[in-house]
Amino acid sequence: MSIKAQTPDQIRNTIAPKKLRKKYTFGHRISRATGYTILFLLTLSSIFPLVWMILMSLKDRSETYSGNFLPSKVTLSAYQFVFQNLDITRYLWNSVKITLITVAVVVFLATLSGYAFARINFPGRSLIFLILLSTLMLPGAVLIIPLFLQLSDLNLIDTHLGLILAYIGAGLPFSMFLMRSFFQTLPSELVDAGRIDGASEFGIFWNIMLPLARPGIATITIFQFMGTWNEFIFAATFIHDPLTRPLQPSLFAMVGRYSTNWPALTAALTISILPIVIVYVLMQKQFVAGLTTGAIKG
Amino acid sequence: MQTSSSLPQTDNRGKRPFFRITEPRRRALYGYLFILPTVLFFVMFIAFPFFRAIGISMTEWAGYDEPRFIGLNNFINMMGNRIFWIAMKNTFIFMLATTILQTIIPMLVAVLINAGWRGEVAYRTILFLPNIISLVVTGLLWRMIYDGNFGPLNNTLIALGLTGLKHQWLAEPGTVLPAIIVVSLWASLGFYMVIFFAGLQSIPPELYEVASIDGANTLQKFAHITVPMLWPVTTVVMIINIIGGIKVFDVVYVMTTGGPNHASEVLGTYLYVTAFGATGGGSPSMGYASAVGVVILILAMIGTAIQLRVTGRKTDVY
Repeated sequence: MSIKAQTPDQIRNTIAPKKLRKKYTFGHRISRATGYTILFLLTLSSIFPLVWMILMSLKDRSETYSGNFLPSKVTLSAYQFVFQNLDITRYLWNSVKITLITVAVVVFLATLSGYAFARINFPGRSLIFLILLSTLMLPGAVLIIPLFLQLSDLNLIDTHLGLILAYIGAGLPFSMFLMRSFFQTLPSELVDAGRIDGASEFGIFWNIMLPLARPGIATITIFQFMGTWNEFIFAATFIHDPLTRPLQPSLFAMVGRYSTNWPALTAALTISILPIVIVYVLMQKQFVAGLTTGAIKG
Repeated sequence: MQTSSSLPQTDNRGKRPFFRITEPRRRALYGYLFILPTVLFFVMFIAFPFFRAIGISMTEWAGYDEPRFIGLNNFINMMGNRIFWIAMKNTFIFMLATTILQTIIPMLVAVLINAGWRGEVAYRTILFLPNIISLVVTGLLWRMIYDGNFGPLNNTLIALGLTGLKHQWLAEPGTVLPAIIVVSLWASLGFYMVIFFAGLQSIPPELYEVASIDGANTLQKFAHITVPMLWPVTTVVMIINIIGGIKVFDVVYVMTTGGPNHASEVLGTYLYVTAFGATGGGSPSMGYASAVGVVILILAMIGTAIQLRVTGRKTDVY
């Protein structure tokens, strides 16, 4: 049996005796129809801006301000323009590089420290944990100025390394917090058994706990991936060099120069979200879990 | 292979006697080793910058000259600054509006979707979709949608014969903040819906069964079962909204940079523009901007304190 949540209809059908089951009356049909209408309108308002964006990106530049919803002639010239003139491959590559390194380091360190906070006893454990935790509510706005100065001092402005270091620092506490909670749900007997077998602490972590922690790792990977890929303000502040800049601030910078070329702008926006939307549709369940776990459990 | 328990014992495997280290100590050493990188990153990129921010907030400093200690003068000046209070007011309006809208609407949508429909998964997938799109893309996209001359919103209004409702949405002081609030709702609806959805799954279906037998209608069931049972989730959603509202920055910065003429200025954009001079108006002031940051921090702390009070839980909730 799957543990998928049942809808009230299904539950009613399984639990309620047949006599109690509602007949499909006229009023019932009306309310079903209303429900479908509302759902349709809701979904439409959710997707309409994105559909409009894609349709605009397929228009010829001359048609930008025609007010037509559908392009009169579908053309990929805007995409051609974006790839040839806007250097978007470079921005994509910068973002991929920054995101992959950040996610790899955060996931490894958060898993390692989350495990230590959950399953290894050492003096000061609770205190250190609480100090790390207390920064979860720190607004990024408070850190942006001193971080900028910090990176300037280290000569790391306009470098990927500087941005990656700042991302790791900002991302670690929350991911560590989630991993610690996850490890606490795993039976501690496994750790004890490993110790009795004479495995090293790192061996226990790597060989016994890590394979079991996969769902937790998936969660923080998606969370951290989305956070880094979509991050704007650190990237815009710490990197000004157009060659080094990742995707989000580059998109923002395009508006200044191409504010009237809507097909090119929408094509760039479409390219920027396409990889993530594809992965989202394929791994929807993990995505939703990854992005909401912190909120639900926190 | 050790056969004894893992309680304190000496580890004699080939160690010199004066180097003898007890098992718990050896383990603690690994504990410290495992958390060391995380703690180092924390100190370098959170703790140290944080204290530095507090320090800078008490200086007068343009960023390139020598910082001059001026005590609490930045805060005193702030209290007399007109734009600070506009930013404060707008942040409060944004926070209040998003907290109300982004709690009630996602709750209703979650309840509606949960009622069992064909294609339920598709609705949820699409409603959550805006949440995975960056706020830069969201903001830039809606800038075009709101465009006064060629945007699809005004075009639609014209097509529907509602020409009187046409606006320069992001250029008029009266419409700019509501317009941004709508974007925030669009972007986050799916996120909060999922949280409510999780809450709905934990309501025992028997409650509805009993109510049905007692002749309760849908509205009564919603008011007397769903809403009270969802209350813990609702407070969580409200708190996330309150703290998010205090910190709001990206969406406003991308759409209007606080304009027109500060009509959508919030504390986040005020801080950023003061520090990095995005509009080019006046020389950047790191000290004053850091002081604004401290105010945001204090407000966020008050929000968190309310969270702990209202939900009655410790921070460590697992």
